[in-house]
Amino acid sequence: MIVAEQKPFEEIKQMISPYGRVLILGCGTCMTVCDAGGEREVSFLHSALRLAQTKSGNGTHSFSEYTLKRQCDPEFLDLLVDKIADVDVVLSLGCGIGVQAIAERFPDLPVLPGVNTSFMGMTKESGVWDERCAACGDCRLDETAGICPITRCTKGILNGPCAGTKNGKCEANKDMDCAWILIYQRLETLHQLERMRRYYPPRNFRTIPRPKRILRQASINAGGSDD
Amino acid sequence: MYAPVNDKAQDYPTGHEKKSPDHSLVPPCQTACPLHMDIREYVDLVAQGRIMEALQVIRTGNPFPSICAYVCTHPCEDACRRSQVDKPIAIRALKRFAVEFGGDRMVQAEAETTHQEKVAIVGSGPAGLACAYYLRRLGYQVTIFEAHSELGGMLRIGIPQYRLPREVLDTEVERLTRMGVEIRTNTRVVSLDLIFELGYRAIFITVGAHQSLRMGIEGEESPGVIDGATFLREVNLGLKPSLGKRVAVVGGGNVAIDAARTAARLGTKQVTILYRRSRAEMPASPGEVEQALEEGIEIQYLVSPTRIERGKARLTVTSVRMELGEPDARGRRQPVPIKDSEFSEEFDTLIAAVGQAPQTTSDFRVRTGKGSTIQVDPVTLTTNRAGVFAGGDAVTGPATVTEALAAGRLAASRIDDYLQHRYPLPDKAGRDRLTGDLLPETIEMVRKIGRVEPPVLPLEARAKDFVPVELVYGWEEAVNEARRCLRCGVGVEILFQDKCATCLTCLRVCPYHVPYLDAHGTIQIPADQCQACGICVAECPAKAIVLRKPFDRRHVTEELSHIIRSTAESKGKPLIVGFCCQYGLFGTGTLAGLWRGAKAGVWIVPVLCIAKVEADHILQAFEIGAEGVFVAGCGQQCARENTTDRVYQRVEKVKKVLAPIGLEPERLQAFALETTDEDPTEALDRFVEKVSSLCLASVISQEVKS
Ligand SMILES: Cc1cc2nc3c(=O)[nH]c(=O)nc-3n(C[C@H](O)[C@H](O)[C@H](O)COP(=O)(O)OP(=O)(O)OC[C@H]3O[C@@H](n4cnc5c(N)ncnc54)[C@H](O)[C@@H]3O)c2cc1C
Ligand code: SF4
Ligand code: SF4
Ligand code: SF4
Repeated sequence: MIVAEQKPFEEIKQMISPYGRVLILGCGTCMTVCDAGGEREVSFLHSALRLAQTKSGNGTHSFSEYTLKRQCDPEFLDLLVDKIADVDVVLSLGCGIGVQAIAERFPDLPVLPGVNTSFMGMTKESGVWDERCAACGDCRLDETAGICPITRCTKGILNGPCAGTKNGKCEANKDMDCAWILIYQRLETLHQLERMRRYYPPRNFRTIPRPKRILRQASINAGGSDD
Repeated sequence: MYAPVNDKAQDYPTGHEKKSPDHSLVPPCQTACPLHMDIREYVDLVAQGRIMEALQVIRTGNPFPSICAYVCTHPCEDACRRSQVDKPIAIRALKRFAVEFGGDRMVQAEAETTHQEKVAIVGSGPAGLACAYYLRRLGYQVTIFEAHSELGGMLRIGIPQYRLPREVLDTEVERLTRMGVEIRTNTRVVSLDLIFELGYRAIFITVGAHQSLRMGIEGEESPGVIDGATFLREVNLGLKPSLGKRVAVVGGGNVAIDAARTAARLGTKQVTILYRRSRAEMPASPGEVEQALEEGIEIQYLVSPTRIERGKARLTVTSVRMELGEPDARGRRQPVPIKDSEFSEEFDTLIAAVGQAPQTTSDFRVRTGKGSTIQVDPVTLTTNRAGVFAGGDAVTGPATVTEALAAGRLAASRIDDYLQHRYPLPDKAGRDRLTGDLLPETIEMVRKIGRVEPPVLPLEARAKDFVPVELVYGWEEAVNEARRCLRCGVGVEILFQDKCATCLTCLRVCPYHVPYLDAHGTIQIPADQCQACGICVAECPAKAIVLRKPFDRRHVTEELSHIIRSTAESKGKPLIVGFCCQYGLFGTGTLAGLWRGAKAGVWIVPVLCIAKVEADHILQAFEIGAEGVFVAGCGQQCARENTTDRVYQRVEKVKKVLAPIGLEPERLQAFALETTDEDPTEALDRFVEKVSSLCLASVISQEVKS
């Protein structure tokens, strides 16, 4: 899942200041799960912005709110057509993808990001989210016992651990586990320690073209379906 | 698709609940009550100190709540789910508190005659009284025929006065008279034809079960032997039968216990109950047995009289000892005599209380069945004769007051159907019943709080007189007892499944481990486990969870708009809004004085546990013009566990945005009590002062600016 954090209230206030009619738009998928932009956050932000306006004379906005199941699909965005008719700006609490999808779908409508999209990760416990994947496009988790050194090692080393490991923690941050110690321990559990002996050549991320696109089409010639 | 959320600016503060179905389940206590009273509701109202409203709920479900408050056998308590945690809620004692505190006896019922048909009721026990009450309210002309000189049936001539004071009964009877029910006492009905000839269009037979059963032993007819029902009737009618020094009571039911305790109150030195099974099988209610033992009554178990001989002055009662054999069809172990175990004892009087049966005049020409009970159609309550209905003990055999009241109420509506030529409406498919036990992990998390028993009269004061033994709760005891209720079946539900992002927040925050992920990966919140704390409602990031009762959902917004209306005129002091737990302390305890604007400028939004206060609610309070907002919970006194932490987090969250909004974060504060005897008034006063000075400062700074 994509994990984000809502922008500081002050910044949001500044961002919307040039606009009159603001639609606060939530996202019902990842942003709900990471508690940055689901319906509850939308309505809290709505109340807070309205209150800011009355208390500190912060412009003359009018606000509306709505939460889509997902902002990153054009079909969902179609549901916004009447909602945006009398709106000057959309304050999206979707991730960066949602914001861009809106920009693409509604060419003349300004859209503002209400959250800082942070990483791809998972819920560790209630209210705690951790990064897990860097979307490098060349997954090697088979070799590293299902633990990603690119994301979880501060230095992203492919042949760790480095000399900075101490008592299983990383020299860069004493509270952070050393990813390579984790990999070692898990390989040991899996009886695959020999993988530690291997050398992993450096990867050239620059050769991976951005932006990426994935094409998946049925091979009609073979006469079968694609899966 | 999502239900669109309205523009709050337009319809605030009425909230944006479009559809509001009530999905609450019928709790086990209500299912068990023959009258299906809304127990959960009135217990909850008592917990909040809203006694008058509690009384209203009670009156809606029960024609004579004061009577039930004294003598109901409370099957509701036997079914109460709290007993899975510790002990059941003292429902009857709470009802007694509500009716006495709320002044039930002052309530006047009125009725107008809107139907010309007359209905006759034969017998004035609870079934007859209830039927008269409801028929009269439906607008019929009703006459009660009663063989005895006073109304009430077993309530008057059976149940001893120390359990049901006669003033209580008299008030209820008087209420009926005032409603215009015609009463003919000293009138034993011998023929129904005669009644029809008098112009009555329907008859309800509720003659009770007054015929004492015989023990079937030699010497039963001897002078000095009397049956229980007759004995109690005589005492209740003011006679003082002379019993002598030693009295034996045969039987193990409530009538036997009542007879024994009555005999003791008449001055008998030694009262012995002879019961042929053991204590575990005794049908009498354990509480009554306990009180009898306290009063010095002896109970001989596994003893059965076989012969009575009348001597010159006394009775010689020969008994045999019993042992328990195989269980019978109903699962009760049958007593079997032990060979050669006979023994004799001398008594002055023997009271036989081994059961009663109805005694229906054969001239009624109604079909009777097993145990001479009148046979009726269970749905329509009709007998074999057109226009003749029957109910109460006469139909069921000896049962209970509440069952008789329920039969009377049902009969009233069936007689109405009959007279209006309607088919009886089938019971409307109501809300689902709550079934199933609490799970061990839920039980473990419910805070254990001992049951508060109502006080009883001290022993010395008891045995001399017929004054009521059980006393009524004080305010605090009642509120504390009521707070123990688990509010079964009114918890939460995921009303908008399509909104649920399956984020698992609810599963993680629930202190009772209620939500779970089912085999299909859908989150479920089982209604039978939810403790209605509301934490998940306030935390679900998708706002997919709601309280099952629409009223509970609207609650906070309605209270806020009430404050807007009430404060519109009264400008002056800065407005301070407090979200206070309405249970306990802030509802009824030390801070109850804050209620409804009692402290200038301070307005309370009563919430049923502060766990239900959402971050958004706090902002809404500022938005309606509050200069300060506080959230006050019972902390350690809370009837639930783990409520405060979440609320503190929400308060912190709001505080974070207050400064950029343009309000000092000190304008928001949370209070919770750490100990029971803490008095938060002072802290609150300090807060109010702080807010006042902040207000003043902002006024000054604005004037400086302009
Ligand atoms: C000693 C004792 C203690 C009890 N304690 C409790 C208790 O604590 N809690 C509880 O729930 N239940 C208790 N009960 C049971 C309860 O009292 C009865 O179940 C209930 O009263 C039955 O009501 P009813 O209206 O069917 O009949 P009854 O109350 O028996 O009333 C029948 C009435 O019909 C009258 N009648 C009979 N024949 C005629 C006629 N031909 N013409 C005119 N009138 C007639 C009788 O005089 C009587 O007044 C007790 C019963 C007894 C005997
Ligand atoms: S806990 Fe309350 S709602 Fe539940 S059965 Fe007992 S009295 Fe009824
Ligand atoms: S907290 Fe709300 S969105 Fe999350 S799983 Fe529970 S019901 Fe679904
Ligand atoms: S209301 Fe409370 S008890 Fe019920 S599911 Fe939600 S958190 Fe659990």
